[in-house]
Amino acid sequence: MFKPMQKENLQKINDYLWEFKKSGKMTVPARIYISSGMLNEVLKDRSTEQLINTSTLPGILGFAMAMPDIHEGYGFPIGGVAAMDLEQGVISPGGVGYDINCGMRLLKSELSEKEILPYLDQLATEIQKEVPSGLGKGRQIKLSIESLDKILKGGAKRLIEQGYGEKDDFENCESNGFIEEADPAVVSEHAKNRGRDQVGTLGSGNHFLEIQKVEQVFDQETARRLGLFPGQIVIMIHTGSRGLGHQIATDYIQLMMRKMGRYNILLPDRELACVPFRSSEGQNYFRAMSAGANYAWANRQMITYFVRKAWKKIFGENIFLKTVYDVAHNIAKIEKHQVNGKEKLLLVHRKGATRAFPAQPVLIPGSMGTASYVLVGTEQGKDSWYSTCHGAGRTMSRHAATRTLSGQEIINQLKAKGILVKCYSMRGIAEEAPQVYKNIDAVVEVVHQAGLSKKVARLTPLAVIKGE
Amino acid sequence: MENNSCGFKILENHPADVRVYVRGKTKQKLFLNALLAMNKILDPQIRTRVKSISRKIKIKSIDLNALIVDFLNEVLYQVQTNKEIYFQVQFKKFKDTEINAELIGRPFESLKEDIKAATYHNLEIKRKKGFFETMILFDV
Repeated sequence: MFKPMQKENLQKINDYLWEFKKSGKMTVPARIYISSGMLNEVLKDRSTEQLINTSTLPGILGFAMAMPDIHEGYGFPIGGVAAMDLEQGVISPGGVGYDINCGMRLLKSELSEKEILPYLDQLATEIQKEVPSGLGKGRQIKLSIESLDKILKGGAKRLIEQGYGEKDDFENCESNGFIEEADPAVVSEHAKNRGRDQVGTLGSGNHFLEIQKVEQVFDQETARRLGLFPGQIVIMIHTGSRGLGHQIATDYIQLMMRKMGRYNILLPDRELACVPFRSSEGQNYFRAMSAGANYAWANRQMITYFVRKAWKKIFGENIFLKTVYDVAHNIAKIEKHQVNGKEKLLLVHRKGATRAFPAQPVLIPGSMGTASYVLVGTEQGKDSWYSTCHGAGRTMSRHAATRTLSGQEIINQLKAKGILVKCYSMRGIAEEAPQVYKNIDAVVEVVHQAGLSKKVARLTPLAVIKGE
Repeated sequence: MENNSCGFKILENHPADVRVYVRGKTKQKLFLNALLAMNKILDPQIRTRVKSISRKIKIKSIDLNALIVDFLNEVLYQVQTNKEIYFQVQFKKFKDTEINAELIGRPFESLKEDIKAATYHNLEIKRKKGFFETMILFDV
């Protein structure tokens, strides 16, 4: 029987940071960035237990950390961050998640809300036609394995070289839209087959496209640098590496479960399966995960191409959509950080957490029909290995949502707020209703107050689009 | 129990993913019911006026708990790449660490939900009152 974690087990560090002291098999303490009010909700599920499990992983440095949108996952909690020593530490697919490089891209226009409103329905319809969900039907084009391998190696950059984007797109993308260590040779045939017809597809669940307006600017200087202004129309894309990434995770979790014994690793949850980063299995997973991450960047690039196609149909060739930024929130990366005053290369797992280097834009989606945010990384973010939150975080299961909420009622409620919904599945709408998520404003307030990233702009939706 | 006639129940106690309870009189029946639970989540629009199709699968795993997850993930791969949904399984070989089987199914038009994977999270097959039972968490 599951016993919820007690608040008494936690020590308050400050108003937005709580700590579980090291005990039992923990090799480091565990920390949660959260407000006192939000903490009670978090303690109801297994997410804190999962955070403590994460703190037992070999080679973890500093703290096992969780962001304020923490919720129960498997293996790591969603919202978890863990940095590993490259020599002594492990790599865990459970610290990345099945949707490798699930992430966000934001496109900006030069148009204001007033200018777009007469065309909003038409634009949303065109975008929905152009960007498929890929749920079973897949795209018409099935890539050859050779073409797919080039995407796995080159990411968004490969598609841009082929004419599906502009130089600006990869320049404004985390890691320039590809990880160099990617190696298609360590990605299984199963994974490649799942990915052949899914480049440029949204997927289901919480993946979406939104036409939004910049409702409020908090940081004028950064907003100006990013080319954002109040009333401006922007387009947000949320998706990841689709079936290809899911299969890479499946393949390597299965492999690591078999091999962990060889490295004397014993874990409380099989989904934490891991191997030493320097082992051949660890290196192969890192190269395969990097290929999956590249696929996700290419996927968001192709979706950008389709959105631009729809946009041009309505507004012509002379009004552009430019990429503000593209950032992952499910990934493991080798990064330089300060450890005990010395610069050191670490492997940072972020599962439902966003990289937030100083001055780097951070994109945080809200739930359907609620606000999203542009934040910027800060120097103070070093405390969390320069990581911040990734979204609102669910509070209700999908099944409970479909049982208690009506898709049509949600559409009506959003319509009353002036938000258009383009989605073929009523069930999908009920599952993603705003009521089943934490309050995004409260989540963002925590990372802002804790100094992990600062608010730049608040974006509100005009149209929510799920693929056909 | 909701969906009892099918030997599974979709639970509401996991906020992000989908947790199901599955049971069966035999291990083979447990595996089939887990597959049917997965179909329920995927919610396919099946093409009716076409012949049924069969696909052969082979799986080897470290134990029975891993085997059911690996079986579901192999079926999921077949579903997604062949655009077919499977509702019967003929087990040619069934050991606690190995399966050879034939999946019987039909093509579908589309799925309403995507499943990323069946997970090993806290999964343990137990025998209780003459039934094999387990919880399975699907990442959706």
